[in-house]
Amino acid sequence: MREQLARYIAADLLNQHDRVIDEDEDLLASGLLDSLSMMSLIHHIEQDLQIDVPAEDVTIENFQSLRAIDAYLDRRGV
Amino acid sequence: MLYLLPHAIDRAAMRSPEREAIRYAGTSLSYAALVERADRLAGLLRAEGVRRGDRVGIHAGKGIAAAVALYGIMKAGAAYVPLDPSAPPARQAFIVRDCGIRHVVTEPPRLSALRLLLAEGVDVASVVGVDAPAPNVRGFSWTDVDAHPVVAHDPDLVEMDLAYVLYTSGSTGTPKGVAHSHRSALAFARVAADTYGFRPDDRLSNHAPLHFDLSTMDYFSSALAGATTVIIPDAHTRVPASYAALIETERLTVLYAVPLALTHLLLHGALDKRDLSSVRWVLFGGEPFPTRYLRALMAALPGARFSNVYGPTEVNGVTYWVVPPLAPDDDAPIPIGQPYQNVEVRIAGDDGAVVADGEPGELLVRTPTMMRGYWGRPDLDSRVFWKHQVVGHFEDVYLRTGDLVRRREDGLLEFHGRKDRQIKARGYRVELDEVEVALGSHPAVESAAAYGVPDEDGSLHIEATVTLRDGRHVTPDALRTHVAGSLPRYAVPVRLDVVPAMPRTSTGKVDRRALAARARERAPTAEGT
Repeated sequence: MREQLARYIAADLLNQHDRVIDEDEDLLASGLLDSLSMMSLIHHIEQDLQIDVPAEDVTIENFQSLRAIDAYLDRRGV
Repeated sequence: MLYLLPHAIDRAAMRSPEREAIRYAGTSLSYAALVERADRLAGLLRAEGVRRGDRVGIHAGKGIAAAVALYGIMKAGAAYVPLDPSAPPARQAFIVRDCGIRHVVTEPPRLSALRLLLAEGVDVASVVGVDAPAPNVRGFSWTDVDAHPVVAHDPDLVEMDLAYVLYTSGSTGTPKGVAHSHRSALAFARVAADTYGFRPDDRLSNHAPLHFDLSTMDYFSSALAGATTVIIPDAHTRVPASYAALIETERLTVLYAVPLALTHLLLHGALDKRDLSSVRWVLFGGEPFPTRYLRALMAALPGARFSNVYGPTEVNGVTYWVVPPLAPDDDAPIPIGQPYQNVEVRIAGDDGAVVADGEPGELLVRTPTMMRGYWGRPDLDSRVFWKHQVVGHFEDVYLRTGDLVRRREDGLLEFHGRKDRQIKARGYRVELDEVEVALGSHPAVESAAAYGVPDEDGSLHIEATVTLRDGRHVTPDALRTHVAGSLPRYAVPVRLDVVPAMPRTSTGKVDRRALAARARERAPTAEGT
C-alpha cells in the first residue's frame, strides 16, 4: 500500500517518476503537495483503492507523511 | 502621522504593546516585540548597505520570520519582494535579476531551496536568516538579527516610495513586477478596515501566501486596527478539516481567501463537527465564487457576513459586494459589486469613451490604491494606464483592468470575462500566453495552445495541446517536466495532448475554443451535474 501510494504521489501528482519519497518526508509543510494534489490523493484512495475517507479524517495528523497515511489506513482496517 | 505601512505597527505598539500582533502555530509576537525585531532587522539591513528604494527579497514560508521580514525591510527604507519558495529556481532567479535584489531575508528550513536559487548565479551580496548561505555571500542568523542594536535612523521616506513588488504572470513569457507604494497599500488597508469595521479584538486569518496580494490586507488592515493576524500554516491550507479545526481553536473572526479554498472548507472541512461562531466576516476574492457553494457556506456559517472583494493586483481591491441572503434556486453569478469609497469606475470602450448604460465594456478605475507601475517596464505601464483630463488640464490616471464588466439595473457591476487571455487557475492569475511560450521553448514543440478547463469545484485548471516538429518526439510527461522548470506549479498544464495538427478556425487561427470544449466534454464539471 505504502509503495503504491509513493508511486502515485511521485508519478501522478509530482510528475517525477523517479522521485523517491521517504516514509517520514513531510508531504504538506514542504510544499510537496498543494491543495489540488491533496484532493487528488483523497480521490485516488477513495476511487482506486475503494477506501472511504470521511472529511473529518482528512487532517494533517493523518496525511502528513506516507507513514502517517499508512497508519491511518491501518486503523481504518485496510 | 501615519503614512508608511510600518507606522501602523509602531502606532499599535504604542497604544497596546502587549497585544498579539502575529500568531503562528501556537507562537506569537506582541506588537512591541514585532516592532523591536523589525527595527533590529532594519538596522542590520542598513548596516549591509540597504537604502531607500532598494528591493529586498523574502524567501520564506508562512510564519513569524516572514512577518518580521516584511516590516523590517520596509523600515530599512526598502521594498519587499516575496520569492515563492515553491516556484522553480529559474523563475525566482529571473525575479531577483529583474528587480535587482542584492539582499534576501530567509529562515533555516529554506536553506537548501535558497542554495538552489543562489546556484542560478544571481548577484546576491547578503542573506539574513542563515549564517552560511554560500561562498561569497555574507550570512546572518536570526540570532544575529536579535542581537543587532536598534539604530535610530530616519529612512526619509514619503508615501510615494515603494513598499513592495509582487510578481505575477506576464503574457510575453516572463513574470512582471507590480510595484506598490506605501500610499496605495495603506489606501486599501484603510478602506478595508473601515468598510468591514475591523476592531482590536479581531483575529484575521492570513490564508494566502506572501507573494499573493490577498496577504497584504491580512497584515496591514489588521495592523491599522491593532488586531491580531493569525498566519495559517501551509499544511492547514491544504487540509480543510485541519483548517476548520484551527478556525475554531484560534477563534478567528475574519477569514479572507480565494473561493476555491472556501469551497474546499465547505465540502471537506467537516464543518458540522465545529463551532465556528467566532467568524463574523468571510471575505473572498481572486476568482468568481460559484453561487451554490457560497450559499451553502453562508448556511453553514449563519453568524457571519460575506463580502466579495474584487480588484486586480495592480489596484488592490476596488469593488465589493456584501452578499445578501441568496435565493435557494437562483445560481446567477455573484456580482463584483459596487466601488469602495474613494474609487471611481468607468466602463469604457477601447477609446476610453464610456459605453451606453447596461452595455458591457472594459472596467477602468481611478483610485488611490493603484500601483506605481510595473517594475522596469514603462512599455507595459503605457498600455495599462489611461490618462484623461477630469478637471481642467490636470491629467488623471486610470488603470485599464482588462476585465469586461456590465452595470446592472440595480447599479451593481457584474463580471463578463477578460479582454485578453488571462485566467484565474485555482485562484492564481495566469497568462495563457506565458504557458504557451514555456511549451514552445521545448525543441520538439512546433505549436502550443493552452486553455482553461472548468473543475468540479467551480474553479479552472489549465490544459494544453501541442503539435511536434517533423521527426521529433516528446512524451506529455517529459513536456510537463520541461515547463515545470520555468512555470509555477499552478500554471503547469494538468493534462497535455500531442496531436498531429491543431484544429483551426475558418480564418486559420488555432481554435482554442474547440480544444477547450473537447476538454470540457471529457471531464464532466459540477455545472453539468
